Amino acid sequence: MSITLELRSVGVIGREAPRLTGVSLSLQPGERVALLGASGSGKSTLIAVINGSLNADEGQVIWTGLPPRRRRQRRAIGTLWQDLRLVEELNVQQNINAGALGQRSLGWALLNLLIPLETNHCRRVLEAAGLPADVLQTPVTRLSGGQRQRVAIARLLRQQPEVLLADEPLASLDPALIDELLTRLLRQTSAETVLISLHRPDLIHRFDRVIGLRKGQLVLDLRPSDLQSGQLDALYSS
Amino acid sequence: MIRLRPAPPLLCLLPALALIPVLVVVLPAIHSGGLQIWLDCLLGALQPSLDPVVLQAMVRALQVTLATALAAWGLSGLSGALLALLSADVFWLSRGAPLWPAQILRSALALPRSIHELIWGLLLLQIFGLHPWVAVLAIAIPYSALVARVWRDQLDSLDRSSLIAQLQTGAQADAAMITTLAPAMTPSLLSYGGYRLECALRSATLLGVFGLGGLGTELQLSLQSLRFHEFWSGLWLLIVCSVALEQGLRFWRTRPKERFGAAERRQLLLLGLLLISAVVGGLWMQQLFPDDGAALAWQWPPLPDRDQLLQASTELAWGSLIVDTLRLTLLAAGLAIGLPALVELLWNRGAAPQVQSLIWSALRLLPPPLTLLMLLLANQPSLALAALALGLQNAGVLGRLLREGLDQQDQRRHQAMTVAGADSASSWLYGQLAPQSRAYLAYGAYRADVILRETIVVGLVGGTGLGWALIESLSSFHWAAVWLLIGAFSLLTLTGEALSDRQRQRWLQS
Repeated sequence: MSITLELRSVGVIGREAPRLTGVSLSLQPGERVALLGASGSGKSTLIAVINGSLNADEGQVIWTGLPPRRRRQRRAIGTLWQDLRLVEELNVQQNINAGALGQRSLGWALLNLLIPLETNHCRRVLEAAGLPADVLQTPVTRLSGGQRQRVAIARLLRQQPEVLLADEPLASLDPALIDELLTRLLRQTSAETVLISLHRPDLIHRFDRVIGLRKGQLVLDLRPSDLQSGQLDALYSS
Repeated sequence: MIRLRPAPPLLCLLPALALIPVLVVVLPAIHSGGLQIWLDCLLGALQPSLDPVVLQAMVRALQVTLATALAAWGLSGLSGALLALLSADVFWLSRGAPLWPAQILRSALALPRSIHELIWGLLLLQIFGLHPWVAVLAIAIPYSALVARVWRDQLDSLDRSSLIAQLQTGAQADAAMITTLAPAMTPSLLSYGGYRLECALRSATLLGVFGLGGLGTELQLSLQSLRFHEFWSGLWLLIVCSVALEQGLRFWRTRPKERFGAAERRQLLLLGLLLISAVVGGLWMQQLFPDDGAALAWQWPPLPDRDQLLQASTELAWGSLIVDTLRLTLLAAGLAIGLPALVELLWNRGAAPQVQSLIWSALRLLPPPLTLLMLLLANQPSLALAALALGLQNAGVLGRLLREGLDQQDQRRHQAMTVAGADSASSWLYGQLAPQSRAYLAYGAYRADVILRETIVVGLVGGTGLGWALIESLSSFHWAAVWLLIGAFSLLTLTGEALSDRQRQRWLQS
C-alpha cells in the first residue's frame, strides 16, 4: 500500500518565537518535493516533525498506508540528517548495517559489532552510493566529508525506506558532488516519496514540487516551473 | 576465516562474560539456611535500631570516620599538590634546571602509590599500635602519591607554548607557570580533588572494617554478630553522609564558575579547603580522642636478613598466590566494566536510569569486605565470591560514571537510530553506548588497575591471593614474608598500572 502524509495546521512552539505555525501540506506517493527556506525558517523542524523525532505542539500529522506496528512505521521513513549522525566508533560496514537495525534482532546488532555481516549487501549499497567496496572496513573517522556523506546515503539505502526525508544533505559539498549525490538520492533509493530540504534554489528543476517556509510558515507550494524569481527573493529576504 | 574484531561498544559488554564463571561457582553454593539470614539482614533496612545507646555509638563512630577522611584528604591533597609540582618536568624546565630531580621523585613515589591503604594501615598498626592517626596516615601516604601522579601527568601534558612565550619575555618561572598553566589545570584540580574526598570517606570506612576504628568497625562487628538492626542504623548514617557528599561534590564540579568565580580563585579555594579540612580533621580527632593526644610512639619492625628472606621466599606458594590475585582481578574487573553496560543495554527505558543510579549508589557505598561478609551469610568463601563483592562495588563506581556520561552526551545519534526503527536495546547500543565507549573503556582500564590494588581487601576476607598471605604473615609476625609479599604486590600493581596506562592512552587517542 502506498504511503501518504498529511499535515494539518502543525505548529511547534520555540523558546523565543514559534518554530512552525499552522503548516498544512500533503505528500503523495511518487512525489519528489524540494523544501526551500532561509536558515532558521523551520526546515529542520518540519523534517523532525515528519520523521517523528519531534512532537508537534499543535495540529496533526496523519500517515496513511503505514504498517500498524510502530517499529515498522519508523523503518518505512528514512532520514538523511544534515549532520549525518554516523557512529564514529564504527567502521563503514558497521555503519551501513546500522540502517538495517529496524529489521534485525539485538543479537544481530551485537554480531555486527564483532564480524562483518551481510557484506555483499553492504558492498552493493556502498557502490550505489558511489564509494568503492574496499573502504568497508575503514573507520568512518578516516573518511573525507564527501565520503562520509556517501556512507550516510548507503546506510539509508540499506534501510530501504518508502519515504525519504533529507535535511540539507548537500550543504557544504562541492558543486560536482552535489549533482551526483542528488541524482543518487532521487534515483537509487527505494523510496517512492522524497522530501529534501535544500539550501540552493537552483536545483529545484530536479523535483516535481517545491514548498517554501518563511519564519515557520508555509508560504510556497507549487511546481518548479511556476516559481517566480520574486517569490524566491521574498522567501530568502530577512 | 572470519577475523573477530570487536568494536568499542561491544568491548564494553564482553567483560560481563565474567558473570558466567562467577555464577557457576556462587549459585550452587548458596545454602537455604543462609537465605533466611540474608532476608533478615535486608529486612533490617526497614527497621534500623533506634536505641539511643546504639545511635550514640554509631554517631561517634561516624564522626571518627569523617574526621579521618577529612584529615587524610586535606593532608594528601596539600602534599600531593606539592609533590606533583616538584615531580613535573615543566617545573624544572621553566627554571632551566636539569630534569633528574623530577625523575627521581617520580620513581620514589611509585612505591607508596603501589601499596594499598589497607596494607599501609596494617603496617602502621604494627609500628605505632592502635592510634587514631594511624588510619589518617594510612590513607594520606598512598593518596599523596596518587594525587601527585595524576596532577603531575596533567601538568606535563599541557601545551607549553604560552609558557615558553612568557619566559622569553623575561617573566619569572613561577609567575609564568601560574599565568599560563594554572587556568588549564583548574578542571582537573577541582574534579579530581573532589573525587579523592569521596575515596577518602570510602577508605576511612574500609580501614574501620579491619579494626582501625570508626563506622567500619561498628558495621563489621554488628554484621558479624548478626545484629542487623544495629548494622542498618550505622549503614543508613553512612548512606546519608555519602549521598550528601556526592551531591555537594556534584554541585562543586558542575557549577563552579557561577558560584566560585575565576579559575585562579577556584584553585585558591580548593587549596584553602584542603588546609581547613586537614586542620578541622585533626582538631576533631583530638576532640574525639583526648587521651591519645601524645605524639605517636613507634617501634620499627625487625628487618629480616638475607637468609630469612631466602627461606621465606621458598615457603610461599608464589605461583598460586599470584595466579589467584590475577584471577580475582580479571573476574572483578570483568564484572565492574561489563555489568553496568549490560544492565543499561537490557533495561534503558522509563524509570530505568533513575533506578539504576540508586543501585549504583548503593553498590559503591558498601566497602567490598562488608559486601563479602553479607554474601558469606548465605554462601561459602571462594575466589568467585570475593570477585563478586569487589566487582559489585566497582560496578557501582563505573555505573555512575557511565550514566553521567550518557546523560551529558549529545542524544542525536540515539534519536537517529530510534527514528530509523531500531528497537530500544539496539538504539541504545549504537546511539548511546557507542559514542561513550572509548571514554568508558579508558576509565575501565584505570579501574582495573584500582581493582588489582583492591584485591588485597577481599583477599583478606576471602582467603585468597597475596592479600590473604600478607595478613597471615602479619598476624604471625613473619616479617620476612611480609616484606617479600609487599614487594611482590608492589611489583604486580606497578606492572598493572603501566599496562592500564598504555591501554588507557590507546582508547583515548584512537
